[in-house]
Amino acid sequence: MDEVLVIENLTVVYTKNGKRIKAVDRVDLKVNQGDMIGIVGESGSGKSTLAHAVMGLLPSNGFIAEGKIRLLGYEITRLNDDEMRKIRWKEFSMVFQKSMNALSPVHKIGEQMKEAVIVHEPEIGETEVESRMKKVLDMVNLPHRVLKSYPHELSGGMMQRVMIALALINNPKFVIFDEATTALDVVTQGQILDEIKNLVERLSLTGMVITHDIGVVAEICNKIAVMYAGRIVEEGPKEKILYDPLHPYTKALISSHPELAEGGGRMRGIPGNLPDLSKEIKGCVFAERCPHAEKICFDDRPGFVKISGRKVACFKIKEVEE
Amino acid sequence: MKLKEFWKRYFEHPYGVAGFVIFAVLLFMAIFAPLISMGKPNEMSGDILSPPSLKYPFGTDHLGRSVYSRIVYGTRVSLSVGFVAAGLSALIGIFIGAFSGYFGGMVDEVMSKIIDSFLMIPVFFLILIIVAIFGSNLFYIMLVIGLTTWPRNARIMRAQTLSLKERAFVKVAKSLGEGDLRILMTHIIPNGMYPVVANSALQMGGAILAEAALSFLGLGDPNITSWGKMINEARTYMAFAWWTIVFPGIFIILAVVAFSFIADGLQYALYPKLKEVEESG
Amino acid sequence: MGNFTRYLIRRITAVLVMIFLVMSLNFFIIHAAPGDPVTIMTGLENPSKEIIETLKKKYGLDKPLVVQYIKYFSNLLKGNLGYSYVYDQPTWHLIRERIFPTLVLTLTGSVVAFILGIYLAIWVSHLRQRFGETIVSTVNYILYATPSFWLALILILIFSSKLKILPTSGMYDLRASYHGFRKFLDLLRHLILPAGTLALIQLPIFYRVTRTSIIQSEKEEYVTTLTAIGVSKEKLFKKYVLKNAILPTVTIFGITLGFSITGAVLVEIVFAWPGMGRLMFDAIFRRDYQLLLGIYFLMAVLISIAMIITDILIAILDPRIRIT
Repeated sequence: MDEVLVIENLTVVYTKNGKRIKAVDRVDLKVNQGDMIGIVGESGSGKSTLAHAVMGLLPSNGFIAEGKIRLLGYEITRLNDDEMRKIRWKEFSMVFQKSMNALSPVHKIGEQMKEAVIVHEPEIGETEVESRMKKVLDMVNLPHRVLKSYPHELSGGMMQRVMIALALINNPKFVIFDEATTALDVVTQGQILDEIKNLVERLSLTGMVITHDIGVVAEICNKIAVMYAGRIVEEGPKEKILYDPLHPYTKALISSHPELAEGGGRMRGIPGNLPDLSKEIKGCVFAERCPHAEKICFDDRPGFVKISGRKVACFKIKEVEE
Repeated sequence: MKLKEFWKRYFEHPYGVAGFVIFAVLLFMAIFAPLISMGKPNEMSGDILSPPSLKYPFGTDHLGRSVYSRIVYGTRVSLSVGFVAAGLSALIGIFIGAFSGYFGGMVDEVMSKIIDSFLMIPVFFLILIIVAIFGSNLFYIMLVIGLTTWPRNARIMRAQTLSLKERAFVKVAKSLGEGDLRILMTHIIPNGMYPVVANSALQMGGAILAEAALSFLGLGDPNITSWGKMINEARTYMAFAWWTIVFPGIFIILAVVAFSFIADGLQYALYPKLKEVEESG
Repeated sequence: MGNFTRYLIRRITAVLVMIFLVMSLNFFIIHAAPGDPVTIMTGLENPSKEIIETLKKKYGLDKPLVVQYIKYFSNLLKGNLGYSYVYDQPTWHLIRERIFPTLVLTLTGSVVAFILGIYLAIWVSHLRQRFGETIVSTVNYILYATPSFWLALILILIFSSKLKILPTSGMYDLRASYHGFRKFLDLLRHLILPAGTLALIQLPIFYRVTRTSIIQSEKEEYVTTLTAIGVSKEKLFKKYVLKNAILPTVTIFGITLGFSITGAVLVEIVFAWPGMGRLMFDAIFRRDYQLLLGIYFLMAVLISIAMIITDILIAILDPRIRIT
């Protein structure tokens, strides 16, 4: 089992209006060769920040305060912008959230896709670039004329395919899908999801799927990590998490999904709000909303417990299980 | 938005503060002109074209009048032109924009077309021609500037009205049977006019420049002392009396800059969201 | 119908409405002005019987206002800009030879301001400290507030009266009659101060629009994507951000031409530049209102043409408008 991605004790902080917001709080995560891990959480859980940190694409007001990221043997946290620029998209890549504006509106799509190849292989010939672009377009079922189109001439679904093709163009060893279907209508969402599922199986892709929709993860991934308020609260094989969730937050999350919930999909909301991440949280991040919370949950941070094939961060796991 | 919060935001903006300070000084000059002018604006002394000195801080012109005194009195002209012209323009713009946007339909269609075209034509010439034909006294000049510059305000107000019309409190008022006119006067206009106010600050500067240009062309009110007229009169002598031309110009710039700064500060206080950066978690 | 055709038709309609508006305003001004329309139109205190008769026939002055309005329109549409009784020449003949100097001045000033504004905005974008930007933007505020005629006078004061290196007035040196390239150089020498004045007062507009759209463009999603795939900062800026950012500036170029002509007129008067502004100035003081309104109408037409050219230019540059 080769470890493709190892994240150790990662903390990412944003500064906003003079406040320090801990978007990712001491996270540990491993991704092995052939794994497609789903990072699930509500907006504000830090899942997207985690993905951007791995890619070395944090916004200017965000920085890694602590911890290490090792991706494909590269120490991401030690590389500067220029060094990152040389390996990103050559070794690993990402499909971005909002595809409609993800490319320059006044340049042809082919022209922009070409950049991803020639930046990393300056010696490559014109014809080979062309054939490589056509190959990835075939993979995502797009006609070759897309290369000569401008972004506004394509539909949302087509642009999303373009972005997937762009991510695959250099045959990456690690791919992140960041809310790859969120901005689309329901029908297109289903199509793109099938497309991604297909590609992941056919190319046996290794990577991460970032989503708020646990249904998406159920389709594509073999592992799941559930994030809440900057921390991973439960992590393990897909089946375990989906059908036998242990952490109270995971339980709540799954029971609020119409198709996965037991008892005919009666949706249950979780009362309460995300905690204020600009303040230090001593205990468990979910304690305020947790029905099982006791004093210890507010005072100490729970460590991971290995139990029935997955890791859970919860003090009251015995009680919860019963 | 609460008024206190609004002004707090306004004074966070450095340009807003600077604009306010310059404006306060000019206003002070205008109000207390007789006290601080060190003499009457039209008083002719024997000192012709004498350079700046303690007696004449900005020197004297070709008739021996103190440039400083004339500038102090000119503040009154420029500020009143700014206020009256921009105020009239705002008033017309607000009503036309609100009515056009609120009632919609054909009237709105035609109105929008007229507003758009009006914004394309060189308005200054229109003002120039009207003043040339109808005659030039200060009241006329202010009136004409106001009557020709309302379309931008109307466009802003119309956009405001279109969005306010869809808001819950207006719909509630309507369902409660409040009349259209009442809704316009009590809900739409009071809530939607702030961007017009910000634009009016900018237009005050524009009106001051327009009056100065008219006076420079000799189309200003012959009976008053204005900065533009001072520059016009000084043209002939400027080669050997730079102060006669430099100081009035600096004051025009100061006044116009002050109003642009104020407009920026108002804009900033109105749309706090523009500066904040959003990020996803 | 293609995107572009529809776009162009919409723009042309707007321009036609504008010309229609200017014609109506002119008509309105003549008839609302104090005094007899004939006196207004001729600018003569005691126009002869013949003149009155011709005018009455041509503009239907004894008919109802609606008829007069229609007559006034049809005359203008036929290209008949009226007759200057003060100069005793058709208005068009007087304006004709003034168009070129005005265009030279306006376009030189605007193009210089356009290029300078874009360069300044790019330069500021590369500055590391906020301080530099504060200075540039303060200078821009000041230039924006500066009356064109005053700036023109100050430049004359510095470069002509004190330094004595540039001419104060006119388009050519009248004492020397140059030809060919020498003539062109002479024109350039005379053009520096008036065009420089115009460029300086317009600079803030172009600077501000370009700067704002660069800031806007840098925040767009595509910058993240292209950075992510490895495009260097420099290439990203030069090839992608700039092209996106300049489009609004080109649009503004067309929109501000009206403003430029206004500035040009005042500058022409200060520099005795033999253009339409100068003619307008003379017309005002000779009370030659036919000429005045003729010039105004023609300016509206010139601005319209300029705007349509800009629209076509935008359509060529921006694929979102072009025929698909």
